Amino acid sequence: MNETITADAVAASHPRPSGATAEGEAARQASAIEMQGLHKRFGRTTVALDGVDLTIEAGEFFTLLGPSGCGKTTLLRILAGLEEADDGRLAIGGRDITEVPPHRRSVNTVFQSYALFPHLSVRENLAFGLKMRGMAAAARNAKVDEIADFIKLGDLVDRRVDQLSGGQRQRIALARALVCEPDVLLLDEPLSALDAGLRSQLQVELLRVQKRLGMTFVFVTHDQQEAMVMSDRIAVLNGGVIQQVGPPREVYERPVNAFVARFMGHDNLYPVTARQGGRLTTALGELAAEEAGEGDLLLIRPETLDLLPGEVAGDNHLPAVVAERLYRGSHAEYRLEIGDTTLQATLNNRGRHLPEVGDRVTVTVAPDDLVTLSE
Amino acid sequence: MAYTGVMPSARSRAMVREARHLLFTVAPGAVWIVIFLVLPGAYLMGVAFMTNGPYGLPQMPLSLESFERLAGFGFLGWSPGNLYTLLRSLWQTAVSTGLVVLVAYPIAYYITTCREKWRPIMLLLVVVPSWTNQVIRTFGWMNLLAPGTPLSGLAESLGLIAPNMGLYPSSFAVTLGLVYNFLPFMVLPLYAAFEKLDTAQVEAAQDLFASPVRAFWHAVFPQTLPGLLAGIVLVAIPAFGMYVIPELLGGGKGMMLGNLVATQFAGGANWPLGAAGAILMLIATFIGLFAMRRIGKRLGGGEEVVI
Amino acid sequence: MRKRTLHRGLTAFWWATLAFLYLPLAVVVLFSFNAANSAASFTGVSLRWYHQLMGNEEILSAFANSLVLAISSSVIALGIGCLIGYGMYRHRHRKLGWLIVLIYLPIVLPDIVFGISEMAFFVQIHRLTGLLQPGLGTMIIAHVTFQIPFVALIVYSRFVGLDPTLFEAAKDLYASPVKRVVHFMLPTIKPALISAFFLSFTLSVDDFVISFFTAGPESATLPIYIWGAIKKGVSPEINAIATLMIGAVAIAAIMSLLFSRRRPA
Repeated sequence: MNETITADAVAASHPRPSGATAEGEAARQASAIEMQGLHKRFGRTTVALDGVDLTIEAGEFFTLLGPSGCGKTTLLRILAGLEEADDGRLAIGGRDITEVPPHRRSVNTVFQSYALFPHLSVRENLAFGLKMRGMAAAARNAKVDEIADFIKLGDLVDRRVDQLSGGQRQRIALARALVCEPDVLLLDEPLSALDAGLRSQLQVELLRVQKRLGMTFVFVTHDQQEAMVMSDRIAVLNGGVIQQVGPPREVYERPVNAFVARFMGHDNLYPVTARQGGRLTTALGELAAEEAGEGDLLLIRPETLDLLPGEVAGDNHLPAVVAERLYRGSHAEYRLEIGDTTLQATLNNRGRHLPEVGDRVTVTVAPDDLVTLSE
Repeated sequence: MAYTGVMPSARSRAMVREARHLLFTVAPGAVWIVIFLVLPGAYLMGVAFMTNGPYGLPQMPLSLESFERLAGFGFLGWSPGNLYTLLRSLWQTAVSTGLVVLVAYPIAYYITTCREKWRPIMLLLVVVPSWTNQVIRTFGWMNLLAPGTPLSGLAESLGLIAPNMGLYPSSFAVTLGLVYNFLPFMVLPLYAAFEKLDTAQVEAAQDLFASPVRAFWHAVFPQTLPGLLAGIVLVAIPAFGMYVIPELLGGGKGMMLGNLVATQFAGGANWPLGAAGAILMLIATFIGLFAMRRIGKRLGGGEEVVI
Repeated sequence: MRKRTLHRGLTAFWWATLAFLYLPLAVVVLFSFNAANSAASFTGVSLRWYHQLMGNEEILSAFANSLVLAISSSVIALGIGCLIGYGMYRHRHRKLGWLIVLIYLPIVLPDIVFGISEMAFFVQIHRLTGLLQPGLGTMIIAHVTFQIPFVALIVYSRFVGLDPTLFEAAKDLYASPVKRVVHFMLPTIKPALISAFFLSFTLSVDDFVISFFTAGPESATLPIYIWGAIKKGVSPEINAIATLMIGAVAIAAIMSLLFSRRRPA
């Protein structure tokens, strides 16, 4: 099927849907989302959101990232109006919509289960939002054709919903939400039900659509790789509290606490037992760090490490033994032992002699690649 | 929309809205059933404890008179008529339920051994006759069992009945009618049980016990027991309260509790006595439902069986 | 070997049971075409009993009563039962045990207890207030009472089978509460509604005991008429009406089944 499309081809051959034209810019400028002190609990004890303050800029691809139960989906549902916050305020484009019901919000959602109406054809599904808003049939049809062209739905439009594959449903669900030209598009783990290959294809497609339209996307996922690929900024949530907000690189390279670091996939975390000026003592030994910060945990990213054969003395040089090597083609992952402590390293396989298991090596790291963070 | 500061009431407003929604959707039907079934039922129970008045209508004072009459105590001392009717109802219910089990068990098993695409059609074939009116079905049996019909002729030549008597009216005809009427009610839950049968267990049992009879008894039968018990409840409860079949096929000697109750109302003879009989049926029903609930926890989902 | 013998025996038993199940109905249908006025011997094919039906005012009015009763009670039950079914679905996370008991009450109560309770109650209300005079009105009330649970359960199970996110998608796509009912809920449960209507219709036409006790002198339905005719002495005419009813109920029941099966995935 035409699951693979290039956005460049789309841009070349199709005009943007009218919501993306210059006249919409002014409205979009104002479409930033502001959340203040959002609280939500379920039942008496389960706290889903515990005071969320967050501002999302217009035209941003913004991701809410966290483990299940962290409150990210609840926050999305409050944006959609499907849940009401117990306390706090929510505004879109400067207009307070805290108490506006979902059908009067210019916000649309792509649901995890896609939620296509089984009693309607694909075309009727696409036109549903426009029809509910009272748009005349002719105008509706024109809009649907326009979006079907833009998302390259082809002959899917004339199928029945139960004849569609998972990937096709996902794209219909996206088109059904986009055709309404909302101020904000919400996406609730829209790719989680798809297999890996299709998933990465659709990630790219989704990102290109967002850039073309310049629409504000709020994306929910538990997959940090997906979040990093797609987002302009990421908010990491845990226990109903925002831990960190920032661009992917900042969240990955400068996590503010151990939770964020671990969630972003970091394992090399070592308690700092002593510090003297820029020199930190950990179970690995003594290391010099340029901007060590005040935190009492040292984070060493595996890809910042280098390995030298044999024992080489020097600053930030640590003697180690290779305990395990996982060859990944483009790179290899090493488990190193320094005394009783292990350290993970990831190195490119660029024409070098790869250290073998059991080899004695020296690990080096640049002082400006070291960060500390709080527990 | 103006922002109103903190909103401690958001939660309670949602709760009020939900409660109003529940009331709006559920109340019409609930009120309907309460007014037109619960109240009449409660009234009937009250009637059972009243005294029989002129034209059979209930009147004060409250008494247990009708229960005494149900047990056979009347103006003329004790007579066994009503007790016989009660016992006959129990007997007929037990016999016909037993026969229904004997027929339904192999049938339900047989359906599960057939190809999957045929099974729904086979079940349908079993159920379809029960969709027609009970009076008509029973009338069909009257035609079949009347004097001079082939079946009666056969029974005569075997010396089972006196010449020119026909097979109905008789207790035999009532039993036959009951078995006919309730067969589908037993086949459906049994079929559900057989379909869920764990064949691995059966094969293991065949290995262990060798004899098919013992394999059946140890591996198959226990697994179908919930379906069997559900079927017994579904058959025995309505059979105990049956009215149409004994009335048409039984004649005077085949009367059951349902006929005793109906007579007290249809003829306007004695409402309190009829109501007392109805209470007996209700007690039987609730015992059955209680049993069903306990079985239902093991079997899971009894409602499709009812439909 | 033994297994095959068992299977052959079961096959024979299956066909014998089918014969047992269909014999009484077949006899009724066969004798409705009998030329002779006899339940014992078939002398030739004739439509005389059907012709006789057409001229019988009593039967025609019983037929009309049956139809009015079945249609009006089914329509009312559809409305009320549909609301309850939706309410049960929407509030399924609450403790609704009392409602479940209430819903199952009409299903589990023995017909005869159901019938005489209503009859006794209606008679007393009528004596006190003059309302609820026995007749088609009281019969419709009684039929709606036993149809509501079936409609509610069918509608409920249709809703339970839906992706709950669909309700949110409808809200999200600008459908107001009224538009959600018209453009989403009703179209989605349409097969269930049709199936529930036909089931209600079948239950109504099928019922004898409850109708019998709540009927008035002018409101005899076909089963009540047949009952009376049987009690007075069998007439071959009954075979003809019965055959027509068997046909009608079979058609309605099959329709109900078709619509309940044809659910989109």
